[in-house]
Order: sequence, then C-alpha cells, then structure tokens
Amino acid sequence: MSGRLAGVSTVFRREIATVVRTPGYGVLAVGLLAALGGLLAAGGGGATGFVPAVVDLLLPTEALVPLVAVVLGYRALLTDAASGELAVIRTYPVRVGEYVAGVLLARLVALVAAVGVPYAAIGAVVWLTAAPDTGIFATHTGVDSPLLYLRFLAFVLLLGAAYVSLAAAVSALAASRRSAIALGSLALVAGVLGGDLVLLRSLAAGASPTTVPASIALAPNGAFRGLVFEHVIGVAFAPEGGFVSTGRAVASLVGWTLIGAVVAGVTLAYGRRVDAAVERVRREIGD
Amino acid sequence: MTRFDPFGDPSLPVRLALAALVLAAAAATAGAFVADPETAAPSPVAYDDVVELGLSSETDALMAGSATIPRTQVFYSQLQYVVGYNGVESFAAALEDDRAERQFGYPVVAYVETFDDARPGTTERGLFDAELAGEWTPAPEAVYVVGSDARSPAGETVVPFRERAAAEAFTADHGGRVIDWGAVRDRSFDTDSAAAVRGMAPDRWTAADQRIAAADRRADRPVSVVVGEDAPTIGAALAAAPANTTVAVPPGTYEETLTVNESVTIAGEDARIRGDGNGSVITVRAPDVAITGVAVDGSGNETRDPDAARSGRDPEGGAWDTNIQLGYGHGDAGIRAIDAPGLFVDDVTIEASASGILLRDGSDAAVRDLRVNGTEEWQDGFMGITGMQSRVTVTDSEFAGGRDGIYLHRADDSVVRNSEFADNRYGVHLMYTSDALIADNAFRDELFGGVTVMTRPSGNAIVGNDVRNSSAGIQASGTRAYIGYNTLVGNELGFSTSSRGSLYERNVAANNELGARATTVVPSSRVVENDFVANADHAAAGAGALRVWADGGRGNYWEGANVGIHDPGERAYRPTSPVDGALHREVALVAVRESPAVALLDRLRGTVPGARSGSIIDPAPATEPYASDRVAAALDPDAGPVHADWRARSGGGEGDRNATGSNAIGTNTNAPNATKRGAATSGVADV
Repeated sequence: MSGRLAGVSTVFRREIATVVRTPGYGVLAVGLLAALGGLLAAGGGGATGFVPAVVDLLLPTEALVPLVAVVLGYRALLTDAASGELAVIRTYPVRVGEYVAGVLLARLVALVAAVGVPYAAIGAVVWLTAAPDTGIFATHTGVDSPLLYLRFLAFVLLLGAAYVSLAAAVSALAASRRSAIALGSLALVAGVLGGDLVLLRSLAAGASPTTVPASIALAPNGAFRGLVFEHVIGVAFAPEGGFVSTGRAVASLVGWTLIGAVVAGVTLAYGRRVDAAVERVRREIGD
Repeated sequence: MTRFDPFGDPSLPVRLALAALVLAAAAATAGAFVADPETAAPSPVAYDDVVELGLSSETDALMAGSATIPRTQVFYSQLQYVVGYNGVESFAAALEDDRAERQFGYPVVAYVETFDDARPGTTERGLFDAELAGEWTPAPEAVYVVGSDARSPAGETVVPFRERAAAEAFTADHGGRVIDWGAVRDRSFDTDSAAAVRGMAPDRWTAADQRIAAADRRADRPVSVVVGEDAPTIGAALAAAPANTTVAVPPGTYEETLTVNESVTIAGEDARIRGDGNGSVITVRAPDVAITGVAVDGSGNETRDPDAARSGRDPEGGAWDTNIQLGYGHGDAGIRAIDAPGLFVDDVTIEASASGILLRDGSDAAVRDLRVNGTEEWQDGFMGITGMQSRVTVTDSEFAGGRDGIYLHRADDSVVRNSEFADNRYGVHLMYTSDALIADNAFRDELFGGVTVMTRPSGNAIVGNDVRNSSAGIQASGTRAYIGYNTLVGNELGFSTSSRGSLYERNVAANNELGARATTVVPSSRVVENDFVANADHAAAGAGALRVWADGGRGNYWEGANVGIHDPGERAYRPTSPVDGALHREVALVAVRESPAVALLDRLRGTVPGARSGSIIDPAPATEPYASDRVAAALDPDAGPVHADWRARSGGGEGDRNATGSNAIGTNTNAPNATKRGAATSGVADV
C-alpha cells in the first residue's frame, strides 16, 4: 500500500478506532433496532411479508435514517479540528482529500453497522416469521421476496450515506460542538422536509407536474422514496412504474454524498484562508 | 481475549473473510436488482385448497345435475392465497373490474382447467359436463370455445382446451367457435352481480304478491259440505266434498287426524283441529289445497325420522344431505304436505310439538297470517315451517319458540316477508336455497341468530329485516347475496360478511357487541353505506387479506370515525385498529391518533391490501349516517321494529318508515285476516 491509499487507509483505521471506542453509536444502533421493531409490531405489515413491512417502515425510515446518519457525522471532522489534532495530522504527509476520504469511509462503515445491521435484523425477523393468517388454503408468496427487502436495504444505506456525508460537511463548517449540533439539526430538517417543501412550493407556483419525476429525485428523501416506490412496493402492482426516474434518483443520492465530501474537503483545505481573509476584511473595516 | 487493533494488519483469514463478506454483499445487492421477483411462476395447486370466488359450486341447480364448471386458479401478486374462480367468465370479469387488481395486485399467473382428454359434453339439461377431471394449463396458452350449446347454471359458459384440435372437435359436436385468451378477455360477460340481485328483490316481492293473490283466488271455492250439518266430522266432510269446493268448519274443537286427497278448501271459523298426539294432524296429498281459519294442535312430537340418520350414513348414498333430507322431511307437523303444490295456508294458528308446517317434495306453498307457537326449549320441538324442496311464500306470519322459525332446504325462489320471529333457535335458516327473498321481517331474542344462510347458495336477498337481542343478526354464506337495509340492534353480532361476491349496503348496526365481522379469507364483497353506531366494537376481521370497505368514494358511517380536529371524512378509518376502533368510546384517543407514529404508519397502509392481513379499512368514512332515522329508531328503546322503504329507493334518498309499537312482538293480537302488514299498514308512519 503506498501513496494516497496508505494515507486514506491510516486515517480510516484511526477513525474506525474512534468509532469503536464511542459506545454511544452502539446505543444508537440498539435504539434504532428497538424503534424498527416497535414499528413492525405496531404496523403489523411484517406479519405477512416483506412488501407490507417496507410499507410500514418507509415513512419512519425517512426520518430515522437521516437522524442516525447525522448523529454519526456531525462531529466527524470537527473534533480533530477543535482539539488541534488536525493541525498535527497535517504536519504528516496526508493530504486533506485523503484525510476526508478516510474519515468518511470509516463513518460509512459505522453507518452500515448502526443502520444496516438493525434493518437486516428486522428483515431476518420478517423472513422467519411472516406467514399467511391461515394455513387451510393453498398459499404462495406473490411477488413478495427477500430480494425486495434487500433492495430496500440498499436504498436505506444510500440515503444514510448521503446524510453522513452532508453531516460531515457540516462538521467541517462548524466552529464548535454547539454550532455543529445546530448546523446538523438544520441539515436534518432541511433534508427531511426542505426538499419536499421546495417541490410543493414550485408546484404551487405553477411548475408542471410532468417535471416531478425528475425534480423529486433532486432531494435525498424524494429520491429515496421514489426508488422504494419504484423498485420495492411498486413491484406488487401491475407494471407501470414512473414514480421517479431511477438514474436521476441514484445519481442524486450518490451526488449528495460526493457534494458533502467535497464541501468538507474544501472547507478543511481553504477554511483557514477564508477565515484569515474575513478577519483581515473585518480589521480593515474596523480601522 | 482478542483486542481490537485497527492499526495492526489483520490476519489473512480475517482479510479473506472481510473480502468475501464485501463481495457477497455486493453480489447479493446486485442480484436483488437483476433478479425479477415476478418470474418464478408457481405451479397449480389442488383446487380444493384455493379460496373460491365466482359462481357457486353448491347451488341446487348444479348439485342436482352432475354438471361441471370450468375452473380457474389465479396467483395474484399481492395476495398470499390462491384464488379459484368457478367459470372462466368469472375470472375474465374480475380482470375487467379493477377492484380485484386494487385489492390483490395483478395476476402473476393464471391456470384454466382444460378438457382435452376429459370427454367433455353436456347433460340432458344442457349444462356443461366432463366425465374426467380437466388439466391445468396457463390461461394464455389455452384456447377457448365460446357460443357453444354448453351452459352453466348462470348462463353462457366458456370451455377451455389446451389444443386447438380438441377445441374444434368440441365445436363440431356442440357448436360455437374457438378463440384465444386475448379474445376471451375482450368479451364482456353478462356476469350476474350482487347488484343485479338487489334489482331483483322488488320483483321477488311482487312475485310473492302474485302468488298469494293467486292462492287467495284459488281458495275461494263454493261451499259443498258444512261439517256438523252435512257430515259429522271433518274427515267425513273431506271424503264427501268434490274437488274445487269448500269444506266449511263451524266453530268448535274437532279431535281428528286428517288426510286431504282432493283439491279443496278447508275454511274454518274459530275451529280447532286437535290431533291425538301421534303423527301429523293434517296431511295434504293433493295439489291446490287451501286451509284457512283454523287452529291446529296435538301433533306428535317426532321431529324427524329417527331411522334417517342411520340409513343416511350409507357411504354410497348420494348427497351428504341425504340424512337431512330424509330426516327433516319426515317428522310430525300440524300441517304436512307431501308432493302437494299450490297449498295455501291462511289465518291459521298452530301449537307445534314438532314442526308447524312441513312441506316436502315440491309442495310449493303460500302462507299468510300463520301463527306457530313452538316449544319452550328449542331442543324439544322443530321448525315453524320446514320446507324441503318446496318453494315457500310466507307473509304476515308469526313464529315463536321451537327450533327454527322457518327452515328451508333446497327451496329456491322462496319468499319470507313481513313476519315476526321470536325465541327461536334461528329465525330463518336456509340450506342450499338460492334466489330467495327474506324481507321486512322482525326477529327478537333468537338464540343462535335471526337469519342464517348455510352452504353456498347464490342470489339470496335479505332486505329490510330488523333483528334485535339475538346472538347474531344476519349470517349469510353463499355467493352474490344482497344484504341491504337491515336494522340490527343489540345483538352479540350484527352481521357477518360470509357471502362472497356480495353486496352489503344500507344496513344499520347499532348497540351490538360487534357490529360486523369480516369472515371470508379473500375479500370479494362490497360493504358500503352501512351505519355503525354505539356498538361495543364496530367491526372485526378474521383471517385473510385486508378488507377495503368502500366502493369508489363511498364508505360507511362509523360513529367515532370523524371525532377529532381533521375534516370529517378526510381520514381513513380502521375499525379493527385499537386506536380507531375505540374512538367512539374514548375521545382521548384522538390525541393518540394524531401522533406522528400512528400517522406515519397509517399513511400508506392501504397500498398493498392483499399482502396485509386481518383488518378492515374504510378509506372514505361517511360524515353522516346514511339512514339517520333508522339509527335514531334503533337507539330509542321504545321504538318498534324499523323497516326501510327499500322498494322505493330507486326514487332517490332513503325514506325509512318506522313501525309503531303496535307491531312489536308479543303485543300483536291480529284478528284473523285483519292485518296485512304491507306498505299500507295503518300503524306505519312514513318519515
């Protein structure tokens, strides 16, 4: 392993160690599992199959997964900067890009563990327990299949990745832990509600509904919801589809992840200079 | 103890395991998107195991002949149960109706029964029949004969074949032409729906009017013999009277057991005919006999043939109900008719030790103003009227005590209306009886239930009845039933939706322990515009897919559904949910209902109804009761039975009319022939 990969790998390992030593993340995963289990029990969809289970989980997931992702990411880049460790790290031959990539990768692994594992556990429970109400008639699974749940899980992780990355960007922008919490909450609310509110506003302002399949994919939540409708729940309906443009939705989720990473990197790389510039301007005005 | 060391290089096995895990996850994810979950078409199952929709296979017409209905089994995308349709046309009609698709998804695969090697033909009655069982063939691969002379009890039938040659061989014998699946789907079939049964209910009422009027005219015969003047006993008078005359029976008590072998009228006036406690009191063995103005008692108490149960268990014996046919048709009765069509019983009171009236072997009878007082304990007695293979028309009668008020077995086209039932086991009990009309009756304190329909007949209409304080209001199985405008108050169960492909509308379920119970595993009926008020629980569901109780934008009225701060009718209502189901009892649940958790879960609940289980959802609960006057009358403890003016509904909104207390059971002291409780009864106020 040499050059950049070595840098990424080292930062990644260091970050993994940080994650593992944070017991709060374990509690987070357990909490998510409890919430999902509660939804499954209260909703009842999981009793008969994967598709109704996904129907029950879909809307709560839109809030829960971003929340967990933001919690995982909102301090990812802040702590090193605040403690001065980042300044130390930067004396080593590690570029900012490598540093950000390493941290983000580690946080994504944490996401897979904290979100993917509870969701997978729920899927396993459904797999083991879902059965028709009565056995006196011949039954079949319809189009219900564990594959559909696997698709759902993939979309969940894509959504989570976008939010982890955006939260990391927030953590790079924030100057203190308190402002990180504030900015993270803002990102959460903006992501979960903002995209749809903007879409609603544009429709109210006269945008053509034919643009919705494309525009709903722009916000991470809209893209996620569209993908689940299109590839998981919609499969149980006659083939019509068209809830969202699949390519755009996937590109949107991946795009948000990349945007978050780039913003984080740029902030870390040039933030000081911007700060310095701002300070200089302020001083000049003050004079 | 292994320590987590992120900086040391992991050992080779760990690295391999990690790589394998990542690869497996990637492959599984890719596979999940590449694989098409629709492609795995299930194989056909044994037809006995499907949930059956479409034509009934248990109508009397079908069971009498050994006819065959080509069957279909369908695997819907959202539904876990395999659905069987009797009749290819039933399935084609279901495909045309988008309700099936909304509730069950689309058909992943459908198999039709093909008759290439089954020696298909027709019975002498023109019904399609095959000597051997058919084979299952995917519907798009089969060919279909339409327009042949083979028919089903419901009309035209489509006969599927695997090979075109076999189909053409069939058309050579039976006419018709061969088309493919696409063409079958494009045809529109005249499938008889429950809505058609609704339309027929007024016609059946009119037919009953005509039957009664005709019987009344027939009974009006010149007096030939007066008992006590021309003959010492009624028996002697009957022997002396020529056909088509009247035997007049003056007031008095006559201790006789009679057999009527001529078409005469026995016209009593305060006359009582008392048997000797053995066998039936009056046995009718001639057509068009009329018995009016008498009271009958003193029959034997043999409720059925004690030997029938044994002989009926003959394993080679025909239908399973041989036992019942032999047994139930052969007990003692006040009036017993055997192969005696055209019997007219008018203004007769029977103290029944076993059956009041027993009709057997095509003894089609018209009954008006009959009063049967059965035994205290239902186990001791038998039915008010037992009708075996006899069409029965009953109006303005009363049945108290005994086993069932009216028990009909293979008695198609029967009508029971304007009558009162109390303290029976069942009020009206139908077996294998199709196309009947049970209308505007009042039932009180029935031990097992008001109206019950067993087996799977088709096309019964149960309309405008009032059932109170009974175990169950209406439990009707079968197909294509119309259950409308009934008022069910204070029962343990208001009604059950046991009949499939049926229409349940405009019923009022008030003050019951349970308003309605959804029973069929695969929903196929419409339940709309019913009012559920003041029930402990409005509705419950048995095993099976989620039931959507609405049709288009019309739902039902549920007391409590609109409690809260949202606009009435805005929120879907789930009577089976612990939150919604208690809204009418506890207002605090409004706050629970508006919680984000409940809202998020409820939001998409109706999207894949077929894949869900055990509950009922009404996406469009009504804001006002559909029959507010009947609801008000149901909740008023002093009001008498209520009957909706269902025959006039074509004119628009519902005009309920409330019968006054004078018609309440127990207070009715009808003078003979004085009260004909029809639409024009004086004690009925139009509102």
